[in-house]
Amino acid sequence: MFLQFLFISSAILTLACTVAVLVTKNLMHSCVFLLGTLVGMAGLYATLGADFVAVTQIMVYMGGVVILMLFAVMLTGGKDFVSRAQNLLGLPASMGNKWTYSMGIFVGVVFILTNVKLLSSIIKTTPTKTIGNDFPSTVTQLGHLLVKDHVLAFEISSVLLLGALVGAAIIARPRKQN
Amino acid sequence: MMSLASYLIISMVLFVVGLMVMIARKNIVAILLGIELILNAAALNFVAYSRYVTSNLDGHIFSLFIIVVAAAEAAVGLAIVIRFFQIKETIHVDEATQLRN
Amino acid sequence: MEYTVGSIAPIFLSPVIAFVINAFLGRKLPRHGDWLATLSIFISFIFSARIFGDFLFGKFATDYYIHKVFTWFDLSYGTQIFKVDMGIYIDNMSAIMLLMVSGVATLIHLFSTWYMDHDEKHGRFFVFLPLFTSAMLGLVLSDNLFSLFIFWEIMGFCSYSLIGIYNKKEKAGDASLKAFMTTRVGDVFLLLGIVAIWMVLGSVAYVDIYAAIAEGKFTGLSVLGISFATFSALCIFLGAMGKSAQFPLQVWLPDAMMGPTPGSALIHAATMVTAGVWVSLRMYPLMVLGDITWFIAVIGAITAFGAATIATVQTDIKAVLAYSTLSQLGYMILGVGVGSYNAAFMHVITHAMFKACLFLSAGSIIHSVHEQEMPKLGGLRKYLPYTHFAMMCCTLAIAGIPFFSGFVSKDRILGDALYYGFMAGQNPLLAIVPILGFAGAGLTAFYMFRMMFLTFYGENKAHHDDHGHGHHGDHGHGHEIHHEHLDARQNVPLLILSVFTLGFWFCGTLTGQGFGKVFGSKTEWFKILVEAPKVEKFVNSPREPFSKVDSKPEAHLEHAHYHHQTGYAGPNPDEHKLHSAHTIGAIASIIIAFSGVFLAFLMYIKGSVKPWASRFPGFTKVLQNKYYFDDLYIEVIIKKGLLNLNKGLSWFDMGVYDRFAVDGWATVNRWLFKASKWFDNVVVDAIGVDGTGVAVNLFNLVLRIVQSGKIQFYFVMLVMVLASYIWTLNI
Repeated sequence: MFLQFLFISSAILTLACTVAVLVTKNLMHSCVFLLGTLVGMAGLYATLGADFVAVTQIMVYMGGVVILMLFAVMLTGGKDFVSRAQNLLGLPASMGNKWTYSMGIFVGVVFILTNVKLLSSIIKTTPTKTIGNDFPSTVTQLGHLLVKDHVLAFEISSVLLLGALVGAAIIARPRKQN
Repeated sequence: MMSLASYLIISMVLFVVGLMVMIARKNIVAILLGIELILNAAALNFVAYSRYVTSNLDGHIFSLFIIVVAAAEAAVGLAIVIRFFQIKETIHVDEATQLRN
Repeated sequence: MEYTVGSIAPIFLSPVIAFVINAFLGRKLPRHGDWLATLSIFISFIFSARIFGDFLFGKFATDYYIHKVFTWFDLSYGTQIFKVDMGIYIDNMSAIMLLMVSGVATLIHLFSTWYMDHDEKHGRFFVFLPLFTSAMLGLVLSDNLFSLFIFWEIMGFCSYSLIGIYNKKEKAGDASLKAFMTTRVGDVFLLLGIVAIWMVLGSVAYVDIYAAIAEGKFTGLSVLGISFATFSALCIFLGAMGKSAQFPLQVWLPDAMMGPTPGSALIHAATMVTAGVWVSLRMYPLMVLGDITWFIAVIGAITAFGAATIATVQTDIKAVLAYSTLSQLGYMILGVGVGSYNAAFMHVITHAMFKACLFLSAGSIIHSVHEQEMPKLGGLRKYLPYTHFAMMCCTLAIAGIPFFSGFVSKDRILGDALYYGFMAGQNPLLAIVPILGFAGAGLTAFYMFRMMFLTFYGENKAHHDDHGHGHHGDHGHGHEIHHEHLDARQNVPLLILSVFTLGFWFCGTLTGQGFGKVFGSKTEWFKILVEAPKVEKFVNSPREPFSKVDSKPEAHLEHAHYHHQTGYAGPNPDEHKLHSAHTIGAIASIIIAFSGVFLAFLMYIKGSVKPWASRFPGFTKVLQNKYYFDDLYIEVIIKKGLLNLNKGLSWFDMGVYDRFAVDGWATVNRWLFKASKWFDNVVVDAIGVDGTGVAVNLFNLVLRIVQSGKIQFYFVMLVMVLASYIWTLNI
């Protein structure tokens, strides 16, 4: 019962916040709604028994990525952010215009139709198991997997992170103005 | 109610909305937001399949790596955004027309 | 015995390495790296000596061989096999040959370091010399005709470079070109033969060819109306003729002396010219199958005799030696032809020894006296005692004086030729082979001693002729000839080589006929080791991969004994008759050789017989002009034949092609022009050009939209393409 409740609330939170990210006028609000989406995602992970992934989602995404996004929005607020030039949908210029929105809607419709075609057959043909309500902790198993089967990917991702760190520092470093 | 299909539909909606954000917005940060949504949709799919189909934890591992990649991508992307803003005083994506600087 | 690649490859690779180093770094090395070249050949010699020792001292049965292959490239597709293997094939013959080539080449290199000292081409010379040697060693090591051909051509190139090394002299350039072009005539045929065998067998490895002969794969095939075996054997033999300078492709070899003398020594003795004999010996079963041995014998006999006659009138010391090389090569080919397989190969070895020594001696004389015209020499015995000793030994050997190596090998060839010509039941016309052979042997003794007498005996003309024209020349004949001292680089190589002019090294007895045993007749190692390949044993012969250690067990191989008395491999062998033929031949050749020497003595020492040159001036003129072969080739074949062909072609070009084709084409063009004008106006201009403009505009419109540079639009396109792909899926 709790599980059902968690699922429904998480799903609603996720979908609602996602749509809000799309339609909101303010970039800052967009970021905050993304935060909501990620919280919903973490809930969905929890309903799937993925406790470690859910916690990582909250810690890394919400604690790291979205905060970074907010910083970026604030640092680059500039004239786009300030400008209140209204367009057809009543949005600031940088948040899109009628052409981009109509294009996005068109693509979305096409994509949903495509996905429905795909998903209908996939859902029909994929054998699913009946799931009980037991949620064993996955942390131990994941730890073993990470250092045994997937140790190469683990190491490569650490190198990737290092590269991203150094690269980001180099790209964003202040340079002499010429 | 809770089945593979429902997760897949949620994931699809996330993906489509992410795509639409990427297409509709002209702001680089907003486009990055769309990318995050798309990555999350994929990760959700992995975990759902891991639970309902394969019953091992490889899907979780994949989601974890997706999160790692997303973090790295966000860090680099935001560095680029800041650099871009320093040069162009804007983060309008149509202004990004040259690879120099 | 364990043979790995590591114990065989250095034979070939160390001279190659020396070549590469000298080619790129030679200028910077002290003495242009001549020590490096010599050392590299010496390393080859040591490795060859090990193999030779194993074969000689009975580690293996006589039919033992090492055969290692690796796949060079494999383009096989399905049932179409196109696979080229390279490899190493060492049998008794290769072991002997490797030792001879590397040993003689070492001494020649050593001598060259003295001879080429302070020469302006010193560095260049020591680039080509190791390459030349390595190509010959590679040719001996190679297990198939294809890699043989590669090394064959490398040798051709090196000989070209060595002959023409003094590239500022026009004569040297001409001579090198002549050598290259003449051998090329043979090479084309050799390649043709190789390709023909490839077409039938899909392989050109010796063992495969032997096996094919044993299995009769060549029977019943024919090319151009002659049997396939005859065709391929003839082609390969024509290649050998070009390389070994057999009649009628002999014209290049005498001119090859334009290069430095040690280079000539290498070309004439160890490497280049023996390659032709080598391939004839290797392909001997094919020659027998193709039934061209009589042709080989006749060609050899003509060369042996004809070159000997020319040599009697030459005045240049190197020219005499060059023609003697031709003549001796004729004997080798004659030996192959009459089936004297063993003795022909023995003659290759003995000839390499004494001819290398002779050329090096000539080099020693030329370098000491700065003169190579024999009439201007004489009395050098006092000044060059060591050279005189070495050259005398070699002259005795080449003249066929008993106890010397030349006697052993040449006498065996002549004995077999005698049997072949008179007793083997062949065509009576083939009696010309032994007759020419014996006549050539007498002439050989004559002209070699003529050379000796003119050079070393009598008075030194240059020295006493105060009014001589060369007296004030810049490197004139007038300057004091220094007495020769024992020098490790000048005359020690000669003395080492002259030791091996004694016959018992090669046959165990002093005479080669069983008299005067030194090591005993059981140690007739040459006869034990070398015999014509028995094709039957090569059927389904295993081949080892390159990396494998040689694994044939020693214990199971009996040390074979040589059963035949003579080593005759030709038609209709009869032990008894062969034996008598050899006895007659030995006596006859001794008499002939001594009479030749005696004649030379009478003419050039005693002076009691007037030299025949003045008695038969007409014939002498013919000989001096080398039977007009050069003139024949240049005046008749090239000027009359090829130039007329050229003229005919040019007439065709001007008269027929130009008039009808070119002018006629103009008329046709005029009509075509009118047609094309209409076409141009209507089709091209109206439809094509304007249409293209419209099309480009339309296309531009599309591209302008697509290539907007707007990243969002690209996303849209991406999704549309993906979606359209998924919609086409049938799920």
